[in-house]
Amino acid sequence: MNDAPATAARATHAPAGESILEADEVVKHFGGIYAVDGASLEVTQGSITALIGPNGAGKTTFFNVITGFYRSDGGAASFDGDPILGRSPHRIAQLGMVRTFQITKALARMSVLDNMMLAAPDQPGEHLLGLITKPRAVRRREREVRDDALELLEGFNLAKLADDYAGTLSGGQRKLLELARALMTKPRMLLLDEPMAGINPTLGRRLLDHMQRLRGEEGVTFLFIEHDMEVVMNHSDRVIVMASGRVIADGTPDQVRSDEKVIDAYLGAHSGGTGNGGGARPAAPEGGKSR
Amino acid sequence: MTEGLIGNTDLVLGFSLDAFTDVGFWTRVGVTAGILTIFNLGLQLNVGYTGIVNFGQAGFMAIGAYTVAILVEKESVPFLLTIPIGIAIAIAFGLLVGLPSLRLRADYFAIATIAFAEAVRLTAQNARGLTEGNQGIYGFDSEWDNISETIEGWLEATVWSDPDQLFPLLLVVWASVTVLTLGLYFLQKTPWGRVLRAIREDEDAARALGKNAFAYKLQSLAISAAIGAIAGMFLALSLRFVIPSEFAPTFTFIGYAALIAGGLASYPGVAAGAVFISIVYEAPRFLDIENEESVRFILIGLILILLMAFRPQGAFGKREEMVLGE
Repeated sequence: MNDAPATAARATHAPAGESILEADEVVKHFGGIYAVDGASLEVTQGSITALIGPNGAGKTTFFNVITGFYRSDGGAASFDGDPILGRSPHRIAQLGMVRTFQITKALARMSVLDNMMLAAPDQPGEHLLGLITKPRAVRRREREVRDDALELLEGFNLAKLADDYAGTLSGGQRKLLELARALMTKPRMLLLDEPMAGINPTLGRRLLDHMQRLRGEEGVTFLFIEHDMEVVMNHSDRVIVMASGRVIADGTPDQVRSDEKVIDAYLGAHSGGTGNGGGARPAAPEGGKSR
Repeated sequence: MTEGLIGNTDLVLGFSLDAFTDVGFWTRVGVTAGILTIFNLGLQLNVGYTGIVNFGQAGFMAIGAYTVAILVEKESVPFLLTIPIGIAIAIAFGLLVGLPSLRLRADYFAIATIAFAEAVRLTAQNARGLTEGNQGIYGFDSEWDNISETIEGWLEATVWSDPDQLFPLLLVVWASVTVLTLGLYFLQKTPWGRVLRAIREDEDAARALGKNAFAYKLQSLAISAAIGAIAGMFLALSLRFVIPSEFAPTFTFIGYAALIAGGLASYPGVAAGAVFISIVYEAPRFLDIENEESVRFILIGLILILLMAFRPQGAFGKREEMVLGE
């Protein structure tokens, strides 16, 4: 168990190979509809894990529950040993598990740079008391954060847009900004809800490269919801499959691809499992929220 | 509310253009505009920078005004000491209102704040033992009069041989406007202000990045309540009495009209909008008509419609922010 303030301990605790996120029989229902119906899964430290499943399987709802945006109706979940169900979203984010949203949430009337600087942790100037008592520490941290932000923006090819309103960015640029912004929090794990949806293949490839690099260089763990089977099969170490609110399969892309249950529940419906055409995506029937 | 923003003054000049050149009249408009500016600085912090719609500002104003009046007149507390007490009580009420209602959706929060302000006003009307009800409280301003006369003395000795009686109040009100505007302006430039703006843009995004949105909204409301209380104290001094009808929701709505005229998310716009709306509010006095009260509301309504049609961002707001906000 690790109860130290997350902001103070950004380093990875669990050694590679152990699970960093564990969910056990998580339940979320809306009235009589069980969107998540006893989902259990483990995500390995340092992995890039895809969460797939037909529309309505409960993937996004599962994300919302384990990041604190929905209150769970049962089960347990822990992040690096800390129980997380029942905690508020900001606490979970402070532990180092940070999410993005299916529909990007660029802070439209703030500059791209402000979007980035906002996300940085450990800024005493975010508290009224800190502003008064530690003005120098506030300024110093602002300089650090600005440098970090500009460097990250450079890496995401967004540096030229730093002073523009985030609301003026294209859909793909917003996805990149959201990922870059999440990285400003120095996360240990990122939950990405359909990061490739609605962006062009070039930007999508760049996003995948970033994920690979971050995993390799900084040991960031990724769990991402994705409908594009080409991306899922070629870019993830593990694939977890949900259907009807439960996890029905969990394994390497090859194992999942040949799993009868998965074919029945999901891949059969799309028949695009081995994908070879660049960017060919079995279109999600609704293209909307998976719940 | 029949007395309106500046109360029943002996300066009412409802029949001619003489008022145009009347120093006393313009001094009073200036005081009113300054009070409205202070009132709106709090609203700007809430509405323009945090995205929470506070319709209860008149309630916080009433708390400030009544605290000073009651403590000075009934408890003989020194006037200057009642100012921090009034601010503290207003902050406490801000937290009390915010704790349950800031968890609600924005529109429900707005309704809850109106209910709060009306509860304050009706309490003031009915708790006669404490507030004297509709008769109001008088005579709490003798200590202020001394301060005012001292300032008048300085003025007479230096720049102006015969300053208007309200001129010292005008100076103090606008000095407060300056200090508060600068303070809020700089606060907005800090990392704290950046978190507020993020919450205005998308509360869930801010939470997902580790920001305790609820705590920030609560702080924003508490600061606004404190500023509202200061406006109430100045209002009490300018009227020389406090009565419940001065704190009707109408005051808050006029505040919003001024806020929109000046422009959202702009602190310089607050003063500009307040001065403009205060002049519009007093303009019917120059007309030889019987129904001043109706005319001023028709005028303000007309201005709001025209603003929405031709300049929704107000005088100092940024049009691109309006567009991106969609």
